[in-house]
Amino acid sequence: MRIFSFHLMPYPALPSEYDGPAWVTCPNELYDPTVGTQIYNRYLDELVYADELGFDGVCVNEHHQNAYGLMPSPNLMGSILARQTKRAKIAIVGNALPLYDPPTRVAEEFALIDNISGGRLIAGFVVGGGPEYYSFSMNPAHARERFAEAHDIIMKAWTEPGPFEFIGKHYKLRYVNTWPRPVQQPHPEVWIPGAGSLETMDFVAQHRYAYMGIPYFHMSVFDRTFRMFREACERAGYEYDPLQAGWLTPIYVAETDEEARRQYEEHFFYFVKRLLPGINISPPGYTSIRSIENILKGAKTFALNLETWDEVVEGGYAIVGSPQTVTEKLTEYLRRLGTGNLLGLFQLGTLPADLTRRNLELFATEVMPALRAEFPEGKPVLGNQAAVA
Amino acid sequence: MATMAEERVSTQVGKVQVYRGGSGTAGAPIVYLHSAQGETPGLAVLEQLADSHEVVAPLFPGFGESEGIEQIDDMEDAVFHLLDVFDVLGLDAPAVVGLSLGGWMAAEIATRYPERVSSLVLVNPAGLYIPGQEIKEIFGRPLDELARDLFADEQHPVAQLMTSLSTATTADPGDLPFELLRPVFQSLAATAKLAWDPYLHNPKLARRLYRVTAPTLVVHGTRDGLIPRAHAEAYAAGITGARLVDVEGAAHMLPLEQPDELARLVGEHIA
Repeated sequence: MRIFSFHLMPYPALPSEYDGPAWVTCPNELYDPTVGTQIYNRYLDELVYADELGFDGVCVNEHHQNAYGLMPSPNLMGSILARQTKRAKIAIVGNALPLYDPPTRVAEEFALIDNISGGRLIAGFVVGGGPEYYSFSMNPAHARERFAEAHDIIMKAWTEPGPFEFIGKHYKLRYVNTWPRPVQQPHPEVWIPGAGSLETMDFVAQHRYAYMGIPYFHMSVFDRTFRMFREACERAGYEYDPLQAGWLTPIYVAETDEEARRQYEEHFFYFVKRLLPGINISPPGYTSIRSIENILKGAKTFALNLETWDEVVEGGYAIVGSPQTVTEKLTEYLRRLGTGNLLGLFQLGTLPADLTRRNLELFATEVMPALRAEFPEGKPVLGNQAAVA
Repeated sequence: MATMAEERVSTQVGKVQVYRGGSGTAGAPIVYLHSAQGETPGLAVLEQLADSHEVVAPLFPGFGESEGIEQIDDMEDAVFHLLDVFDVLGLDAPAVVGLSLGGWMAAEIATRYPERVSSLVLVNPAGLYIPGQEIKEIFGRPLDELARDLFADEQHPVAQLMTSLSTATTADPGDLPFELLRPVFQSLAATAKLAWDPYLHNPKLARRLYRVTAPTLVVHGTRDGLIPRAHAEAYAAGITGARLVDVEGAAHMLPLEQPDELARLVGEHIA
């Protein structure tokens, strides 16, 4: 089991009278740079603290023109973390490949972070969220093709001697010869997040990369997603390794169950009701028809539709409680899902700095040791329940 | 009214659906190019025109059961595909009528291959960019909201269908029979390939309009909520000898709302 601290770097100060989407058209007049100066530094401190507390890694991601996640360039964050953290893996989950032109830029910047950090980079590749295709006026009908081509360019740039020529449908590069080269050979570990698209699962399975399940759905959706991913590995001709899968979930630990809920609930619902609206926009052609059919099956359980705390608890949308409760729930769900990577969101919505730090501390001292004992690294974690889920 | 029969026609990109009807007694055959709504099947105005003309209405790849959208990336590919359809059906120089996206396609054919179009009718055509007179967003908008831009009459059966689809997908899209949603997703994805970026226009088209030689009629629905009248005006100004006609009481989906009037205008124009 590897345990990561994932930060979205949300905007916590949307005015209460604003009730529109947090994406694409959310007016940037609502962004206050004085808040920004404070939270960017605070959020980076929280990731550095996770490194000090013994997390296996820290995660950042890429989103544009929104209040949900303020990292238009996760590579800038990653390069700061490369200097400020000492031991943790730096998982950039990921770069939205079609938005980088030419995509050799990703090969360069990722290799740079891998160099500065001494080989601690985890390279995440994403297609980019639906809203990003509006924010970049980029044709969503070409998203998958561009992603696949960009991926090929980056992996070839890392693993084959340059210069070479890459002439594809979307990118025509006559001299690919990226400097620096990554420290990790033949290349950094590759993670690919997915929301249930069958094409993505097959792609990840065929390349033996790791699949990160995108959160904010009912646990039953995760059951199905990771079962489908295991099947995709079987189709690709091998048995799934738990370290090839990651479950991303909000986590909050306090002294008691009651205190945890009392401290956390309002911040969680700020996230759900203020920052999620607009995230689920799916532009035409972005997802194949057969994947849309699959994704729609879980659509109603999307966290945006949550109204009560009981629904949050029942559906496993966030793991909240005393150290004992959180340990028990995580153990149960990790067995059930069979994922070898746990990606916790320890700050969410408006959760303030003091509660976030306390959350990280309680988790690291009281939950993490129990999980490490329960799931020793390298040993399969897939529980019996997974077979019948 | 004459009936339109469906057939499959083989093209370079795959088999496409074509609706055909009528006979060629009154001049050149009429080709109808549909909008992003894919409204062709059962379209009354085509049956009316087929009383006096041969009418041919292909469904573009990605619409209905027409194959081949994966081999089409942009408007240039679309033009070559439509030329293939013309050739396979033996249409040397038909009269071309197009609505919205189909109007844009018709204008692209008529500017690039003027000899292949004997007469041109552009109904609420897309294809141009006019600063300050932008075409409204069609992608990602709730269907009920879009229906109000497309139809003057909210009670029109297609507007009603869009509204009820919108209500149902908001409640729980997983509960709807996917077969009901599939055509919507497919046709929007096909449209995105041609029209996402640049949005519903070709920046080079305006300065190529002088190439059109066909007698041209531009038809504007006065209640079109999607494309401002300035677009119809720009087409009429850019194409030599073109006429602009306003149709009262019709919005964007003019052929569905005012079929009699459109049939009359087309019949007169190509006579």
